[in-house]
Amino acid sequence: MPTTAFSHTVAQAEQAGRMPTRRTVDVTDVRELTPGVMRFTFRDEFIAANTEPGQFVNLYSGNPQHLMPRPFGVSEVDGDDVSLIFAVVGYGTEEFATLTAGDHVDVLGPLGKPFNIRTDADYLLVGGGLGIPPLLEAAQALSERADCHTTAVLGYRDAHFADVYAAKYADEVHSIDESEGNVLTLLERLWPGLQERGRELIILSCGPTPMMKAVAEWAAKRGVDAQLCMEQRMGCGYGTCVACTIDTRDGREKVCEAGPVFTAHQLGWDNK
Amino acid sequence: MNIEQELNETPTNLYMPHEWRHGTVVAGVPWKNPVGTASGTFNVDACGQFYDVAQLGSVTTKGVSPVPWLGNPGVRTAESPAGTVNAVGLQNPGVDHYLEHDLPILKRIGATVVANVAGHCDDDYAQVVEKLAASDADMLEINVSCPNVTHGGMSVGTDPVALGRLMDRLRPMTDKPMIVKLTPNVTDIAAIAKAAVDGGADCLSMINTLVGMRIDIRTGEPIIANRTGGVSGPCVFPVGLACVWRVRAALPDIPIIGIGGIDSGEKALEYLYAGANAVEVGGAALYDPTAPIRVARELEELLDSRPELTEKLAKGDTWR
Repeated sequence: MPTTAFSHTVAQAEQAGRMPTRRTVDVTDVRELTPGVMRFTFRDEFIAANTEPGQFVNLYSGNPQHLMPRPFGVSEVDGDDVSLIFAVVGYGTEEFATLTAGDHVDVLGPLGKPFNIRTDADYLLVGGGLGIPPLLEAAQALSERADCHTTAVLGYRDAHFADVYAAKYADEVHSIDESEGNVLTLLERLWPGLQERGRELIILSCGPTPMMKAVAEWAAKRGVDAQLCMEQRMGCGYGTCVACTIDTRDGREKVCEAGPVFTAHQLGWDNK
Repeated sequence: MNIEQELNETPTNLYMPHEWRHGTVVAGVPWKNPVGTASGTFNVDACGQFYDVAQLGSVTTKGVSPVPWLGNPGVRTAESPAGTVNAVGLQNPGVDHYLEHDLPILKRIGATVVANVAGHCDDDYAQVVEKLAASDADMLEINVSCPNVTHGGMSVGTDPVALGRLMDRLRPMTDKPMIVKLTPNVTDIAAIAKAAVDGGADCLSMINTLVGMRIDIRTGEPIIANRTGGVSGPCVFPVGLACVWRVRAALPDIPIIGIGGIDSGEKALEYLYAGANAVEVGGAALYDPTAPIRVARELEELLDSRPELTEKLAKGDTWR
């Protein structure tokens, strides 16, 4: 790709007060968490320093036949290293899964509007499957705040691949797979204890749309505010192509720019 | 090495203002360089995060309609070999929002602005042109080539009679240079080009996207909700180039903006050699946000050693 000719774009962009464009970075670690699910780490000082929970990055294929961005929520930041977790679902993710430390990949980001975690409160991080990664970063960010208590509520099809990462940062981790139930099963179980704590509760959720909708409705019935991290097929990831729209109370919005995080109210999922 | 030294030793900085060496003239309007953005791939807020968009030869903004349009339902885009298929359906917040928001921002920073005009019928186009005629837009581009709307768009741009009728309506409404954007989805693009010019077009731009689709083999159903969409990206480059070549052969004097698959200075130069006065970068910006400004810089270096071509461009003439 011709873009790789410009290797100093981050420094140049920062000097000019601009967002750095697509750039080539080092892959530092790629590991399989469970068959077909990868944790992918690359080194980018700019993303590491600027990303907020719920934001995403674009990865680009090294194959010039495959041009569309692959957007992934950031799951963890460690120094200048940025980690993502994704499932191998097509030729794009298959290519990334074959990369190893020392290889290069093109990235853009951080992109999109993050979760609002400015309130001191108890946070319930409700994730399903490959929707869990952005909640891990939320747990990491909230772990640095003494006044926030975080409870991860994670649902899987089978292998509990993200529990170990959630446990690094969340105060409590509860997980379930389809043999036993889903995240709503856990929420019902946890609800009496959460009520006893008596603090303001905020739900951050990411997962399959039907799951998030059910979580938002569960929250609305209990007077709990929910923020949902949405997914839509993207053409650019930075707000210019108008491909990734969803309908909200504010009209038809771009998920990459107005989102990916929307409140339950914005989505009309709060029964109001 | 500190950052200052590093920056000074880096030859190409896409983020800082640049003294352009090779301008062009398109239908009487001077462009700082021969590279603009293609409609539908440019949004001032999104693209302006990455670089100073006023550095480009021009910016062509996304099609605006008389009232806000919701566009097509999702899924709106799919990958295709060396390209994408999209069917956004011209979602836009309407011409009034454009006049209040996008256009003032672009003029304030000194951009040369081509306002793209969309419509479902002749009345729609006329309402938008009427409002833009009194605006600061430098040029108007009439979009009669969008393949993703059921009325207007390509249905006008594939019919010389309908196009002539639309131009008869729009031409008297403004003295601003009027560009007609052509579709490649016709048997003879030169015939449509002639109809546009006979109707008073000052300039032609080509190509809009080619009709295409993708099917999900797990379900057997089209990936895009609109079923078909418009193909863009490097895969359409030779198609756009041949369209410019054929229209240039048929109409030696009309200014032409070449569009289609441009992702490098070399490809931009091919369009100039085919007879274009200028080019626009579209799909490449979707996977490389600074592609338009990068192409402009790459083209500039290639033009440095081609004085015969740059002299023609500077006068508004073309290579052939």
